[in-house]
Amino acid sequence: MRKYWLLARHEYRKLVSKRSFLVGTLGFPLILGIIMAAGIYFSIEGDQHRPIGFVDHAGVINTAVVPLTDEGEELLPLRPFPTEDAARQALTDQEIQVYFVIPADYRHSLQMDAYYWQDAPSESAFQDFNAYLRANLASDYPDRLQPRLQEGSDLTVRAADGSREFNSRNVFNFFVPFFAAFFFIFVVMSSSGYLLQVVTDEKENRTVEIMMTTVSPGQLIGGKALGLLAVSLTQVAIWVLTGIVAVLIGRIFIEALRFITVPWSLLVVIILFFIPAYALIAGIMTAIGSAVTELTQAQQIAGILNLLFLLPFFFAALFLANPNSPILLFLTFFPTSSFITVMMRWGMSTVPLWQMALSWLILVASALGSVWVAARVFHTGMLRYGQSLSLKEAFTAVRPRS
Amino acid sequence: MATVSVNAVRKNFGRVQAVKDVSFEVFPGEIFGLLGPNGAGKTTTIRMMLDIFEPDAGEISVFDGRVNEAKKQRIGYMPEERGLYKDQPLEQTLVFLATLKGLTESEARSRLVGWLKRLDLFDHRQKKIQELSKGMQQKAQLIATLLHEPDLIVVDEPFSGLDPVNTRLVKDIIEEQRQQGKTIIMSTHQMYQVEALCNRIVLINNGRDVLYGEVSKIKRDFSGNAIVLEGQGDFTHLPGVLEARRQNGAWHLALGSGINPQEVFRHLARQEELSVERFEVAEPSLDDIFVRVVQEGKAGQEASYA
Repeated sequence: MRKYWLLARHEYRKLVSKRSFLVGTLGFPLILGIIMAAGIYFSIEGDQHRPIGFVDHAGVINTAVVPLTDEGEELLPLRPFPTEDAARQALTDQEIQVYFVIPADYRHSLQMDAYYWQDAPSESAFQDFNAYLRANLASDYPDRLQPRLQEGSDLTVRAADGSREFNSRNVFNFFVPFFAAFFFIFVVMSSSGYLLQVVTDEKENRTVEIMMTTVSPGQLIGGKALGLLAVSLTQVAIWVLTGIVAVLIGRIFIEALRFITVPWSLLVVIILFFIPAYALIAGIMTAIGSAVTELTQAQQIAGILNLLFLLPFFFAALFLANPNSPILLFLTFFPTSSFITVMMRWGMSTVPLWQMALSWLILVASALGSVWVAARVFHTGMLRYGQSLSLKEAFTAVRPRS
Repeated sequence: MATVSVNAVRKNFGRVQAVKDVSFEVFPGEIFGLLGPNGAGKTTTIRMMLDIFEPDAGEISVFDGRVNEAKKQRIGYMPEERGLYKDQPLEQTLVFLATLKGLTESEARSRLVGWLKRLDLFDHRQKKIQELSKGMQQKAQLIATLLHEPDLIVVDEPFSGLDPVNTRLVKDIIEEQRQQGKTIIMSTHQMYQVEALCNRIVLINNGRDVLYGEVSKIKRDFSGNAIVLEGQGDFTHLPGVLEARRQNGAWHLALGSGINPQEVFRHLARQEELSVERFEVAEPSLDDIFVRVVQEGKAGQEASYA
């Protein structure tokens, strides 16, 4: 076990100290930070503190009626005008950012006009005026109904077996499985390069013989794959942490972010599927790296095999139309496509427990098989300097010995 | 008891028979020479011995059994295909390899200081391997082989790329290891180094062991098959002479098997264009023996093809 740890640590240190890792890992939080800062800057600055003007020909709004708000939330002040001319003058003088004209027949037509100059008012100006209007229209109804009328409908869709729930106020959770799928693709793309390099590095550095008289092929491949997994997880941890910080800051300014909840059951599924899927990639890439002599050669083959992991994206339309179609069922059980397919189906529908269990078992078996095959191919191909293994030789390497 | 015992091993790569039949034993406290021309099967034999390849037939025993993970920690191997992680600093690489061989990091670091200083690499310890000269890399490789104090040391061409000063240093280190009771297997083409260091040798040719035993006995067995002579004329094409080379003003003639020096002497006496000033039956150098055995093997092989 110690050798696995030593190899993993060595690989981890080697990669983490590379400039490309630092740029790739810290680049994302940096860009996110810049976007967040820009968003916050524009939401704080600009016109949003200026009052909202209105001309009420229908007598709907009483400024004494205050809408229900969340704790700490402040609405933009309202400023009534007797005539449209007065309101226009105030807009010209930049005393208000927008004014609404409520026509006399508003209660029948439910139509009104908003006026502003070249600079569009902030989004909160429309939201806040809508809140004032709702509160005034609801004020005629009994007190117990008022919160319900002001907040509007809150639709929750639940799976019949209670396993899944989708809430209209929590749109973010709908996207989590898709984020996971895209993240997986990212890991496949970035790690496969590193994994190929792991073996070709040993060949190109001529260190294979020293390693083979020190550790077993399984320890070498396993230890290096663990190190790379740790590198990927470090990257993800930094990004997730950045995302959490971004959400915590962003929820002060962006309402939708306040309803985010942690989808624990999905997280468990992601972790359960991610680890064997990663081992499967590691096995495949190591086998390729062992069979060829140069990194560029390995990359060409790996590029084609990467498509096996991207397979579900070719059927993206089918996920929307029929998430339980036979093709997607097949992709659920096919080891290279199972992670993304399960995630996408989870996002669109529900995946029966037996399907997930079977898919996971196939994935784990394939991962173990791929690591075993990789170790055999590595053992055969490791000392072939300048000469690739033929397909026949690779098959011979994995054939059980008599 | 033998540290390494190789018994009738065979290894094929596809249709190529790399090793056909090789047997030898190596004991603690000796430097054993594994000799042979290029492509004879030396490296394949070493790789089988160290469990990098599995033999197709025959038996190999290292430390009284097959090589396993625990035994790997008692082996130090400097392969012919040299290599360390080029983009990694020297010290970090050597410590990493030593920890894989069972040392703790602190043990590895403290032992490393002495080795780096002795081999003149201490000031270069933070440099990346690729920044070191070939000779320095060679010395670094030797440290990687010895840092964990192995009981069995296998060195393939340990002197290649070294200047005379460093060759002497490496030779001293190998001799020191032998004195400490370590088992050393050395593969090299530098026969004078073999003569200077090795107690016993095995010569592999065409995948077979063709010569095996103590260096002094082998030389005795081959004496009478070499002549040293001084004189005037061309001595290169004498009958029964496999190789004639000039060294320090004298001719060294390696005789073919079964050729009596007296026959050569009588032949020389009949040649009017040649004058002989000194004629001496010599104990052949290991180099002569090597050439003779290999050339005879080659001739035998050609005869069997014909």
